[in-house]
Amino acid sequence: MTKNFATKVFSIGFWLIVSAIFLLTLPLFLQASWVSLINEMLIMALAGTALNLMLGYGGMVSFGPAGLYAVGAYTTAILLTRYGLPFPLAVLAAPLAAAAVGLIVGWFCVRRSAVYFALLTLAFAQIIWTVIFEWYDFTGGDNGIVSIPIPELLYSITHVYYFSLAVVTVCLFLLWKIVHSPFGTTLQAIRENPMRAEFIAVHVRRYQLAVFVLSSFFLGVAGSLFCVFAGSVFPDYAHWVKSTDMLVVCLLGGIYHFAGPIVGSGVYILISKIISKNTTYWMFFLGIIVVILVLYMRNGLVGFAAEKLAQMKNRSEVKKNKDVP
Amino acid sequence: MKRRVIRSIVLTVSIALIFSWIGPAQAAEKTPIVIGFIHSMSGAMSMYGISSEAGGKIAIDEINAAGGVLGRPLKMITRDDKLNPETGLREAKDLLLSEKADFLTGTISSAVALAISNYVKREKKLFIVNISQSSSLTEENWHRYIFRIDTNAVPYWGYAPAIALAKTWKAKKIISLGFDYETGKNSLKAFKEKYLQLVPDAKIIDELWAPLGTTDFTAYITKMANSGADAFFLACIYGGGELAFTKQAYAFGLYEKMKAIQPCAGDVETWYQVKKGESYPKGALATCRYPFWAIQDPKSKAFVEKHQKLVGFWPSYGAMNQYFIVYALKDAIEKVGAVDTEKIITALEGMTLNTFVGKVPIRAYDHQAMMPNWYGVMDFSPNLTFPHITKVDVIGEEGYHSVDKIKALRGGK
Amino acid sequence: MTWEALAGQTLSGISVGMVLFLIAAGLSIIFGTLKVLNLAHGSLYMTGSFLCYGLTSLLSQIPGAYWWALLFAPILVAVLGGIIEIFLLRRIYDQEMLYQYILTFALILILGDACKFLFGVGYQTVAAPWPVNGKVFLWGLSFPVYNLFLIGCGLAVFLGLIVLMRYTALGRNVRAVTYNREMANALGINVPKVYTGVFMLGSYLAGLAGTLMPPMSVVALGSDMAVIIECFIIVVIGGLGSLPGAFLGAIILGLLNAFGIYIIPKLAVAFAFMLMIVVLIIRPWGLLGKPE
Repeated sequence: MTKNFATKVFSIGFWLIVSAIFLLTLPLFLQASWVSLINEMLIMALAGTALNLMLGYGGMVSFGPAGLYAVGAYTTAILLTRYGLPFPLAVLAAPLAAAAVGLIVGWFCVRRSAVYFALLTLAFAQIIWTVIFEWYDFTGGDNGIVSIPIPELLYSITHVYYFSLAVVTVCLFLLWKIVHSPFGTTLQAIRENPMRAEFIAVHVRRYQLAVFVLSSFFLGVAGSLFCVFAGSVFPDYAHWVKSTDMLVVCLLGGIYHFAGPIVGSGVYILISKIISKNTTYWMFFLGIIVVILVLYMRNGLVGFAAEKLAQMKNRSEVKKNKDVP
Repeated sequence: MKRRVIRSIVLTVSIALIFSWIGPAQAAEKTPIVIGFIHSMSGAMSMYGISSEAGGKIAIDEINAAGGVLGRPLKMITRDDKLNPETGLREAKDLLLSEKADFLTGTISSAVALAISNYVKREKKLFIVNISQSSSLTEENWHRYIFRIDTNAVPYWGYAPAIALAKTWKAKKIISLGFDYETGKNSLKAFKEKYLQLVPDAKIIDELWAPLGTTDFTAYITKMANSGADAFFLACIYGGGELAFTKQAYAFGLYEKMKAIQPCAGDVETWYQVKKGESYPKGALATCRYPFWAIQDPKSKAFVEKHQKLVGFWPSYGAMNQYFIVYALKDAIEKVGAVDTEKIITALEGMTLNTFVGKVPIRAYDHQAMMPNWYGVMDFSPNLTFPHITKVDVIGEEGYHSVDKIKALRGGK
Repeated sequence: MTWEALAGQTLSGISVGMVLFLIAAGLSIIFGTLKVLNLAHGSLYMTGSFLCYGLTSLLSQIPGAYWWALLFAPILVAVLGGIIEIFLLRRIYDQEMLYQYILTFALILILGDACKFLFGVGYQTVAAPWPVNGKVFLWGLSFPVYNLFLIGCGLAVFLGLIVLMRYTALGRNVRAVTYNREMANALGINVPKVYTGVFMLGSYLAGLAGTLMPPMSVVALGSDMAVIIECFIIVVIGGLGSLPGAFLGAIILGLLNAFGIYIIPKLAVAFAFMLMIVVLIIRPWGLLGKPE
């Protein structure tokens, strides 16, 4: 073992093992309400990572991820409640439905760039919200859908936690694979310079549409998981405030790192819980935190940590080289 | 590799220790009976949250000063739901699991109430609603663990105004304007159902719907003014929307052109800032959930005073309801002799609350308290600074859906 | 539909549109020059409303308190806008749009809670001031003078802004910066100053709208969120950054709503969004905007 401490702290494997052991054993020693909170963090982490596929890797600023998240949640809810489909089918159908809606929405949105792309995604999410809110007979309107027949096995907080953990892990692994595939590399090339990518015969729009659909797919999974977790769905899931939550999660963790939204989700939910427990002026404090982030920590927590660790690593390597005569 | 694993385990355990340390330490002395209170404490609806919290606090202080319940003090823990069902659900879990709350109360948003209701059903804990109006809470989505000590949308927005109108003006041609959402639509449905049954030759000549949150009703008002109706009915236009509507309708002379049925206009929390000479729903037929100026019981007067002292404004009906809820829980616990959810539910079913607005039975079938609905005509009087209902009359159980009707509704689902 | 109904709906549609124009104009001007989509514009509007209420109740002893509020409240909002531009927005112009969005969103949260802290949670009202508090009869229909006053204000602001932008030295500078920032800088125009000025002007308009609204509406928390989406729709329909576009968009939206409730009342909610999407697809730069 010649590696020094800083290198080890920096290694991804080490952190993966720590978090795996922690996440697998935590229902044994944590209070149930904390397990439930971490469950929410996991779902938000998946939603954030799915959004970040567009945001950080594709360079496409979407204002409306919550619309697709809600499509996932409502698909599971409606299939279980109205059509009595078996549970696994209802969960599997959610990402497919979200991807289908994502295909339609994305087809319109990717033709426009920058601010128009952002506004179109916002408009479509708002339309999804309106449909959910107005179509009472199908979606339950503003009363949402409650008493969704989830298998009783998943009533317990521990069980539903392990269910979410398993699904989120698989999805994050898939997302990791996508990001590190040739597809992901091309995507980053498009982000850096769409025109140059076009010159080397990359069909930019087609790639952007593909990433829109993939992102919608995983947002759908996250929505469906939340439906299973909460046992009820509401139009608020599609609200633009929810979209902003997801954007803040990505920004907080850092959009140029795969782990960004995952860390961001944990920290964001924890902070908002602690603040709102202690003051009714939670909006004010959250706002101040976000302002500080935007002004001083644009690369997010993960970006910040990576920078510091890289510095440490550098310094120790310099020192090591000095030791050698 | 081995060392790495050991290191990981050490780190994990230390993180775990930190987390478990965060949990609250239980006090050693007499453990209080904990009432969890979830309400909108921030944002646009926070006035109701703050007022309801004050109502609960007044009851708890009175009870604790008199020695508590079964020798144990009562304690209320407040949480903010931010009008968001996700947050409401999270706080409900935290209250039950971490704070070991014995009961949950509160909420203004029906979505939050439904989310919590769905959760307590699984956990088999008691949840008593103090404001949320959605009738589905105690009808289609009813279960053993939910109670409501409050009116609901059916009597308040629909049946009571219909009965009041049938007793007074018997308007024949009515145009309606409502907020375009579920409660708005149900309100008009209930109003129509009851009123057309009482006054069969009346007609709703047109239904207008404005998006929830509209504050500029100008275009709707010109349409209403030109509709040839002899009265208009507001379906679930409340709060800031109602205030804005009234101002605009007043400026357009709508109140002179036709009669107004404006449920909710009687509730003080919207109107207490309005002074004489400003626009108000002049002469409108209005319902009210707590007309404290017309209630003679000295306990009510004392309650109003305490509420004023605590938060500096007039009590909303939410404050009164929360006050009654705490007393209802106290009575039920004392009757059972223990803090036992199942037994307390059985005790509450069919219990009659002895309140400063009279005797209020809790109907065993749907766990809905038969809170009275008052109505009257909006006007000023010499001793109050704000417009309020005058010639106050009251509608009791006849304002609610009958048990048979609810049976049919539940059967339909 | 009778003539009275037609006249009534047209007039009320324009009156609704004018109020929205006042808010949307500021949003559009700011986007045109700074290329910042200011999500907190609704919050500046709400701050203006609360300041209007605060000032009128503070000065209630003085006759014509409302008119003093109308003079000072928008200026206070403009100063607030200046502070926001200098201390916050200026630092992120060269960053991605995402950061602007998140930063202005944070301002919504901060300003919302600040209003709650300063003015409380109740609904506040301001009475329509003399001499615009009466009614007039037009085509057999009684119409409040205040709504006509609002229409007048909207037109005056529109014309004033056109004159300001087209025929004054200040306007020339702004247009130069909008057209080409680097070139304007090279020609000796103080770009940061123009940015601050434009943001303050936009904030002033939001504050003005916020001060004009209370006499016909209500001062309440939550009005920030209520107006912002409508304003987005207006500027997108009219063309982001185009002042005449915002004017046209506002009138279209007002009339669409006024006649929509006559023809298909059930769909009134969805009209605006559908129009926005149609415009974005067939003419993405808006009716009067310029293609990028």
